[in-house]
Amino acid sequence: MVKFPEKMPDSLARLLVVFVVLTAVLAIAWVMIPTPMKSVHVQWDNAILREKAKPMRYAGAHACEECHGEIYGKKKAGYHRDLSCETCHGPAKTHTEDPDKTKPAIPATRSFCVQCHAYNPSRPRGFPQINPQGHNPLKPCAGCHNPHDPKPPTTPKECSACHGEIARTKAVSHHVQLECTTCHQAPQQHKITPRGVKPTKPQNREFCGKCHAKDTRETREKLAKSAPKIDMAEHGEKYVCWQCHYPHSPEVEN
Amino acid sequence: MNQDLMRHLAEILPQIQGFIYPNEVEIHWGMLIVVYPYITGVVAGAFILASLVKVFNVKEVQPLYRLSLLTALAYLLVAPMALVSHLGHPGRFYEILLTPQTSSAMAMFGFVYAWYLMAVLLLEIWFVHRTDMIAWAEEKTGVMRFVYRALALFSRDTSARGVEFDHKALKTITIIGIPSAFLLHGYVGFIFGSIKANPWWSSVLIPIVFLFSAIVSGIALVILFYMVITPLAGGKINMKCVDKAVDFLFYAVIVDFSLEVVEFIHRVYQSEEEIKILSEMLMSKLFMSLIVIQVMLGMILPLAIISVTKIFRHRFSLNEDLRKMLYFISVLLIQFGIFATRWNVVIGGQMFSKSFRGLTTYKMEFGGLEGLLFALALLMLPVVILAILLKVLPPWKEMLAEGKDGDGRAVGGELPAPGA
Ligand code: HEC
Ligand code: HEC
Ligand code: HEC
Ligand code: HEC
Ligand code: HEC
Ligand code: HEC
Ligand code: HEC
Ligand code: HEC
Repeated sequence: MVKFPEKMPDSLARLLVVFVVLTAVLAIAWVMIPTPMKSVHVQWDNAILREKAKPMRYAGAHACEECHGEIYGKKKAGYHRDLSCETCHGPAKTHTEDPDKTKPAIPATRSFCVQCHAYNPSRPRGFPQINPQGHNPLKPCAGCHNPHDPKPPTTPKECSACHGEIARTKAVSHHVQLECTTCHQAPQQHKITPRGVKPTKPQNREFCGKCHAKDTRETREKLAKSAPKIDMAEHGEKYVCWQCHYPHSPEVEN
Repeated sequence: MNQDLMRHLAEILPQIQGFIYPNEVEIHWGMLIVVYPYITGVVAGAFILASLVKVFNVKEVQPLYRLSLLTALAYLLVAPMALVSHLGHPGRFYEILLTPQTSSAMAMFGFVYAWYLMAVLLLEIWFVHRTDMIAWAEEKTGVMRFVYRALALFSRDTSARGVEFDHKALKTITIIGIPSAFLLHGYVGFIFGSIKANPWWSSVLIPIVFLFSAIVSGIALVILFYMVITPLAGGKINMKCVDKAVDFLFYAVIVDFSLEVVEFIHRVYQSEEEIKILSEMLMSKLFMSLIVIQVMLGMILPLAIISVTKIFRHRFSLNEDLRKMLYFISVLLIQFGIFATRWNVVIGGQMFSKSFRGLTTYKMEFGGLEGLLFALALLMLPVVILAILLKVLPPWKEMLAEGKDGDGRAVGGELPAPGA
């Protein structure tokens, strides 16, 4: 039997031997492992190569402009400007390379548009949504809405046809009783060429003060009576009201 | 997209509520990742129970000392299996050892684990059993004799000086062991708590909540094992010991519970933008596992039961069998509760969309590496290992001796024998 130094307890000495052997084995193993196995760079490089080897299937948002300039320009100005062509038509890289050989899919069914537009409470408030069962059932969407420039097919009577988000927001706010035209003077022409003719917007604090000022003498607006009152001189200092209150959904957080 | 994936998605998609990002449809940290913190929790908890004896000199729970150490070891051996299997290529686990990463918190597990296993648990178990193993080697013949010899590292030193050193070493290891056990499970909590993109996880309290739930689960499990194994081994359950252990369990559950309540209140009061979706998740997807199992059945009910035995102590002190049964039910409930806690953290954190607008569903597989069957096997494996450990390093003398230590001396005397 091995004799350990007198001072050291027997058990400690034995453990030390185990420890030294283990460390030695680990050290030897570490030295013997070839570097490529230890380096993560090899794996990174491989991952890049693997990804690079995958075929490209999408041509990108602007690749279609070259040949479908008209549609491209139309879409750019419409409500679908943020959608890429391939969002709807699917990957079309091969088509851009040889347009006659392959043609992208044309999603003409109702069920397609409904993926984004069916009513769903979790969608952002104001996102244009319809109830597919109720909204002109059985007719293809593209019959009334040009998918590349979607808008309501006839000149709408209501502001909400185009400003659905604001209208829906307002409809659940304290300002529900206020007409849009209380605060915006909108010429009829705005509904036909909305970007060409724009309605007015309130400009100053006094506008809201008509109804909300403590000492208002407003008589034409019948809602002015029931509006909660503030002291215009003190409340909100010099800022316009909508820096703090969103006018279409004024909320007061206490 | 390949066909399998399509089919898989087609099953899940109808169950999605609201809007979620495409990469959130499927829950990637599944059942195995639930099992993992549960198992490491048991390790940490069992060790803390053992340290009650060694460091804090709680003599009553002496019969649980060795059992809890062996339980900790059995569970510790299984803990990495859940992780490695989850990674998908269990056969390549050695690559983790070969390419240690120091920059990733996840990869730190290897170091924490190795430290805890080698520097704390194995050492402590070795010192506890050293003299016993020498004695067993004398009794046995053949292979077992050699096994014990080898386990004792061929040591034959039973001198008073050697034993004295064992005591000192044990004390030191346990003192190092407590922070290490905290580290082990605090680390698991840290992994979740530091994911700042996930508001369900991201909280500085998570490591601490994990720690206390770990202590709860460990103590409860050791008590459970003790109450099951002792009669099987032909002994009589030492109620003084169980009473005391349940005492500690009771306090641990209270601390754990209050921490979780603090977390909850803090969340509700802060009311950050995620609060709506979280409360929706709580009331729909997690209602059963969180409110019913974790809180009601896993905490409040056991707390109530144990409180009743405490309040009507006199009445219950007469009826040991009833008390036994109540304790048994409580520790069992607590196990389920803690398992549900892990489930709620792991699965819950992936069930809501980071857009805060939708919820997905967890569809558990049955077979396969990520499936229920495999997870159950992993949960049973430590019990099998424990059975083997109990065969090799039998703690019976200590467990069965009612109020006596290993040498038959009355507990509470001067210096107990090593490991007694
Ligand atoms: C190199 C020119 C070119 C490019 C680039 C190109 N296309 Fe085309 N595309 C054509 C031609 C030519 C036709 C056939 C026109 C016809 O049949 O009237 C066509 C037809 C189509 C059709 C109708 C298919 C059908 O079945 O009628 C779609 C949809 C389409 N392209 C989408 C796209 C999209 C999306 C992109 C961009 C990713 C794109 N194209 C880019 C030349 C091009
Ligand atoms: C919102 C989905 C959507 C987007 C985005 C979209 N398309 Fe279309 N596209 C359709 C639908 C639906 C039809 C079929 C229209 C019909 O049936 O009248 C169509 C038809 C076409 C056609 C063939 C018929 C036609 O009107 O000439 C071409 C070409 C085409 N799209 C090109 C494009 C290009 C180029 C872009 C990108 C600038 C694009 N599309 C963006 C949905 C879309
Ligand atoms: C990938 C999602 C997506 C798909 C698919 C899609 N849309 Fe849209 N749609 C949008 C977005 C985004 C807007 C712009 C919303 C906004 O301005 O807030 C929009 C706006 C609209 C509007 C304008 C609503 C308004 O405010 O007056 C109409 C109409 C419309 N889409 C019809 C369609 C039709 C018809 C289809 C099928 C051919 C379709 N959409 C497919 C995303 C989609
Ligand atoms: C018969 C013609 C017709 C068809 C078919 C049709 N729509 Fe419309 N859609 C309209 C009209 C008209 C409006 C204007 C708002 C209103 O009066 O309801 C409108 C409005 C919308 C809006 C804006 C709603 C809002 O509140 O801002 C969306 C989005 C829309 N439609 C999508 C669709 C989709 C998707 C389909 C196919 C599933 C479809 N529409 C089919 C006529 C049609
Ligand atoms: C045919 C669709 C349509 C209808 C109907 C419509 N608008 Fe508009 N409106 C628009 C568009 C498009 C814009 C420009 C948005 C932009 O440039 O971002 C706009 C802009 C506005 C603006 C902002 C002007 C600015 O200077 O920023 C106001 C205010 C407004 N509309 C009010 C109304 C009111 C009130 C009604 C109802 C009487 C109404 N609109 C009806 C399409 C419409
Ligand atoms: C209480 C008065 C009030 C009412 C009612 C009101 N608005 Fe406005 N609206 C405002 C003010 C003030 C602004 C300017 C906000 C700013 O400049 O930030 C504004 C801005 C807008 C804009 C410009 C875009 C935006 O969101 O800033 C549009 C479009 C608009 N309003 C449409 C409408 C429509 C449509 C209705 C009816 C559904 C409506 N508003 C009702 C006060 C009102
Ligand atoms: C035609 C009168 C009228 C005008 C103009 C008006 N409001 Fe109001 N407002 C009301 C009425 C009426 C209510 C109270 C509705 C209710 O009973 O909830 C109200 C409520 C409010 C509230 C209180 C919401 C709450 O939580 O109690 C705020 C803030 C507010 N308006 C801000 C504004 C701002 C900012 C403007 C200017 C852009 C404005 N209002 C213009 C009539 C008006
Ligand atoms: C600097 C930010 C700020 C500005 C600017 C501001 N407000 Fe407020 N407003 C608040 C806050 C904060 C509250 C809620 C706390 C309170 O009651 O004082 C409030 C409350 C209100 C209320 C509800 C009072 C009640 O008793 O329920 C009305 C009405 C209101 N504001 C109208 C206005 C009008 C009109 C203007 C423009 C003249 C305006 N605010 C400008 C911040 C502002």
